Amino acid sequence: MADKMCMVVSEGTFDKAYMPLIMGTTAAASGTEVHVFYTFFGTGLLKKTANPKLPGMYRLFTGMFKKKMAKVGIPGHDEFMKQAMDMGVNFYACSTTMDLMGVKQEDLKPGVKVLGAASFLKLASEAKTTLFIG
Amino acid sequence: MQKDATLDARGLMCPMPIVQLAKKVKEMKSGQVLELLADDIGAKEDVPAWCSRTGNALVSTEEEGKLLKFYIKTK
Repeated sequence: MADKMCMVVSEGTFDKAYMPLIMGTTAAASGTEVHVFYTFFGTGLLKKTANPKLPGMYRLFTGMFKKKMAKVGIPGHDEFMKQAMDMGVNFYACSTTMDLMGVKQEDLKPGVKVLGAASFLKLASEAKTTLFIG
Repeated sequence: MQKDATLDARGLMCPMPIVQLAKKVKEMKSGQVLELLADDIGAKEDVPAWCSRTGNALVSTEEEGKLLKFYIKTK
């Protein structure tokens, strides 16, 4: 059976958006089954319209970061999520925070599933690696 | 070194060399040798780590200045 890896993302800034994608695609490329659970401010990253910015004052440098990353082959957020999904990475929105953050199911990117904490904890209990990104 | 294919990942940084490497190896037949070119300094450790996790054999590694050449025999 393939290794399993789980991540929890609780923030919605640019840096927190990319970390699970970098870790997730790398793990998937190594044959690991990957599950990423987005909660609180992370949930917004799963919206079709998501356009994350760096935190605080650094938000002004987001464009520069994007350009630098594009130069070394790292795609934009939406494209990177699509690539990760194509590689088999699973993305979940926390059902409770969707309600809190005003994210509707139809706002979510195609392929994103909605999950509760109990289901995610079941996945996490079977995983060799669980990372918290927040 | 004899090779069946080359993947040029120069200019790409983590995680892209590994993502493309996995894709390429999947397309190849078992026992073929892939030459991977990379200049991401992280690749030096990442490629051997990926090979050991996935069971593909890292046959040899060469360094020419900043350029890293990996020869990987597919599982």
